[in-house]
Amino acid sequence: MSTLTPPTVTREAPASRVAGGPSPKRLRLLMRTRPWLLLAPALLILAVLLLWPLIRVVLFSLQDYGLREIVSGDTNFNGGANYAEVFADPTLWTVVLPNTVFFAAAAVIGTVVLGTLVALLMANLGSFWRTIVGSAIMVAWAMPAVTGTYVWVWIFDADRGIVNQTLMGLGLMDEPFNWFTNQFTFYGIALLNVIHHGFPFVAITVLAGLLGVSKEMLEAAEMDGAGAFRRFFQITFPSLRQVFSVVIILSTIWDFKVFAQIYLMPGGSGSNREVLNLGVWSYVESFGQNRYGFGSAIAVLLTLVLLGITIVYIRALMKEDEL
Amino acid sequence: MRKRTLPLAVLATAALGLTACAGGGSGSGDVSADGQTLTVWIMQGTNPDSEAFFKEVGSAFKKETGATLKVEYVQWADAHDRFVTSIAGNTTPDVAETGTTWTAEFADAGALAPIGDYVDKAGLKDDLVKGLADSGTYDGELYGMPWYAGVRSIVYRTDVFEELGLKAPTTWQEIIDAGTAIKAAKPDMIPFPVPGDAEFTAYPWVWGAGGEVSELDGDTWKSGLASDDSRKGIQFWTDLATKYDLSSSGATTWKETDVLDNFVQDKVAMAIMGSWTPATIVQKNPELEGKFAAIPIPGEDGGMSPSVLGGSHLSMFNTSKNKDLAFQFIEMMTTGKFASEWAEQTGYFPGQTSLLSDSTESDDPLVKPFAEQFVDGGASLPVTPKFGAVQAKKTTNAMIQAILSGSKSVDQATTDAAKEMDDIMNGK
Amino acid sequence: MTTHAPAPTAARRPAEGPGTDRSTKPQVPMHRKASGRKIRSNTVKAILVTLLLVFTLFPAYWMLSSAFDAQASSGGQSFFPKELSFTNFESVLTDGGFAVFLRNSAIVAGATVLISAAVALLASVAVARFRFKFRTAVLLMILVVQMVPLEALVIPLFVQIRDLQLLNTLLGLIIVYVALALPFGIWMLRGFVAAVPVELEEAAFLDGASWWRMFRSIMLPLVAPGLVATSVFSFITAWNEFIFAMTLLGGSTENYTVAIGLKQFFGLNSNDWGSVMAASTIITIPVMIFFILVQRRLSGGLVSGAVKG
Repeated sequence: MSTLTPPTVTREAPASRVAGGPSPKRLRLLMRTRPWLLLAPALLILAVLLLWPLIRVVLFSLQDYGLREIVSGDTNFNGGANYAEVFADPTLWTVVLPNTVFFAAAAVIGTVVLGTLVALLMANLGSFWRTIVGSAIMVAWAMPAVTGTYVWVWIFDADRGIVNQTLMGLGLMDEPFNWFTNQFTFYGIALLNVIHHGFPFVAITVLAGLLGVSKEMLEAAEMDGAGAFRRFFQITFPSLRQVFSVVIILSTIWDFKVFAQIYLMPGGSGSNREVLNLGVWSYVESFGQNRYGFGSAIAVLLTLVLLGITIVYIRALMKEDEL
Repeated sequence: MRKRTLPLAVLATAALGLTACAGGGSGSGDVSADGQTLTVWIMQGTNPDSEAFFKEVGSAFKKETGATLKVEYVQWADAHDRFVTSIAGNTTPDVAETGTTWTAEFADAGALAPIGDYVDKAGLKDDLVKGLADSGTYDGELYGMPWYAGVRSIVYRTDVFEELGLKAPTTWQEIIDAGTAIKAAKPDMIPFPVPGDAEFTAYPWVWGAGGEVSELDGDTWKSGLASDDSRKGIQFWTDLATKYDLSSSGATTWKETDVLDNFVQDKVAMAIMGSWTPATIVQKNPELEGKFAAIPIPGEDGGMSPSVLGGSHLSMFNTSKNKDLAFQFIEMMTTGKFASEWAEQTGYFPGQTSLLSDSTESDDPLVKPFAEQFVDGGASLPVTPKFGAVQAKKTTNAMIQAILSGSKSVDQATTDAAKEMDDIMNGK
Repeated sequence: MTTHAPAPTAARRPAEGPGTDRSTKPQVPMHRKASGRKIRSNTVKAILVTLLLVFTLFPAYWMLSSAFDAQASSGGQSFFPKELSFTNFESVLTDGGFAVFLRNSAIVAGATVLISAAVALLASVAVARFRFKFRTAVLLMILVVQMVPLEALVIPLFVQIRDLQLLNTLLGLIIVYVALALPFGIWMLRGFVAAVPVELEEAAFLDGASWWRMFRSIMLPLVAPGLVATSVFSFITAWNEFIFAMTLLGGSTENYTVAIGLKQFFGLNSNDWGSVMAASTIITIPVMIFFILVQRRLSGGLVSGAVKG
């Protein structure tokens, strides 16, 4: 049988049955419950851990919930006032959202492109060099985000950073320039930081995808006479598509929520109002001021937005039967 | 069986009897709390020898009250979150070190127990350092017992000043003159950095010019940042950077930690720094020992510009089961032997004016000026959680930074900041 | 004919695949053209690898330079350590308590990897092999856990874990990290599980193999790369996560992880850069080791004998 398309997913009742197996009716029941049984551990963990807290977050978002309410345990419902306040804040629309969206877009594109290129490179290396490169990438991924941010800040430090020192030494700069006060250079540095920290995830995942493509199918296809391009597009690429979808979705979610990498940069913790992003803004406006209800409202809104974006991605990236 | 239990019962009763008698210790509050534990949260890092210190305190406490002391160290970076989650989850300690800005916040939320009565009974009321007592008082009640504090003044390089024949500045004009001279003679030193992300370095100039940060007018808070006096002070401070070029472009985004780092690296001639920094400076760069001193922040034409007292209180949580015991601990820590020892080990000033005489009479050029500023030139910011919100939003920092980076004029920045402050403090 | 050499996949250079028709190419001596191309491609690869290593390791270099610099605290920004020494590492491991933190983090990360791999594999089999109602919804809902901003969850999760009586325990933390790692694991593995031909499985059953044997010799090797990616992700998630670790472990310092340990060097008034960088270096190394151990499985998995059925 030649299977150039990825195998269809549906599992029908097995064609052959071991003698003395369960009756058809029982089998059908088994078929229907088995997926849920297999899902049970995962769903149990998520539900027990997160269902109730998520409900509480929604409940908080409908209250004017501050330190006083935490101490007394009282509730203090104020309807949708928190949500209204979120939408009414001009800073959100003029500074925060544009910064966040553009930064996330640039970061996702940068991370995915760089990560994929690196994965392709690694797939073509001998196992020794692949281990070396892989370990180096791990360093970039494993370096705590806090540390990495400070290192990049040092690199671009106005007075002592290597960038300015080099530029001044080469005569390209007279007065030391503070890269962090300007919105675009600030985010340029943040982008370097986030891409540097994030591309290894893409690289390892895509590499796994590349190497996980079933060799047998490739060989079977080859023996069937399929050309290289055909093999790539009909076998490799579809399985990569699934890998890409999860990588892009998760990268988008994370890059939207970036907080520490911005907060720790000079001026990023609120003193430079032009570089606020969603993570910092929501922190400064809510949790930093003990306004937990307001912060919960922002969290709920953000989750809904990300859910929406994910649905859009899924529609775009994946065919119905692949999902 | 009977034969064995009898002697045990006798022993037990005897033991109980003995401890009942031993309860009357040397403290002013007689508390017998045998077998109880007092949980205390202390911030990590203030005292490098805190473990040894608290072991001593623990044994003294046990001797006096029979109760065991359980100290938990909390990291500054996460302390606030931990307080909040512990309140939410009912795992609060009996006593905790609260930063001066947090005491009002927690008191307002109803988490702290008032200690005014205890203080009065112990006769300590008149011995509290005013600035610290003010920041520990909320709504007329004292919640935070002054424990230790520091103050920010000007730290400067005596060797550089000597080399250039300069005298320590005593007026604002003299600051400008000294700075300009240093800039000419030492181009790779920053004469006086103006940090853009350090609000406590800006307030002295506002107060020194006669302005106010925010004042209560009846029931409404009115920010004084946009008044002529305040603007004069802020203009002077930012002019050091924008007009006289005595700062650096990097300093536009500096926090106080960056100022310290740069001072340690020999790059700064004068800066506003806390009384706790000299020890750190010498530890990080031993070569600087003896080469720097402090002066109180000059007033415009002499005298002193007020500076914020920053430090910690010891507060009692409402959930504490034995408040008498808790206060006994608080008293032990904030008065007498342990208070002086703590101050000595940490480099901060104790919260009791009677213990301050050592510092005010000292000759040390790194202690006396700070002590002067502490006692005569200490000030406090509005004691309300609403000002905490202003600080969380970095209203003052954003104002200074906007001026330094050139995106707003002094007038525009102060107007915007004052309005934002009023909005936040009066509840949007 | 199975090949184990890491042959270039079709993606990289389709033109060189054996299926290419060479009859139309110009008649240049084969071996010369082939070796010329090989040298060029090797040089290109070498350049790319070098550039990649420089970009990747440049920040790490600064971290190392300060970590080994006894004078790093005076502002760690020099290109070469001002005073090369191990003092930062010593102090971090002893006073800083990192020996204990490393042990705790190893336990937490190891458990997270194992549990999340097992749970995710089961769930991905369900999602990949069966078609049932709500499948899409379940897949989306699992992702929600990654979408919610963590700061908003801190208080409710704290209360929840307290109710489960898992506060101040490593177990509570492990469960949270498993939950955080599941979305990626499930999404990643389902693709791999789906790619395993059903026929292979059934052939094994026909041969009388038990489910476990089938799983071990057929499915496991084929999903191995996915498992590797998932394990690395779970490991790093558990290793570097801070907010929940701090919240859930609270005062039990003996259970602290390395992420919490790192924060202690950021003081209120000054930062101990030397210790920060030394601690960061210590934090980075085990992850590298973990990767080196598991990455062999990445070369994709045919165990001889699996195909012969």
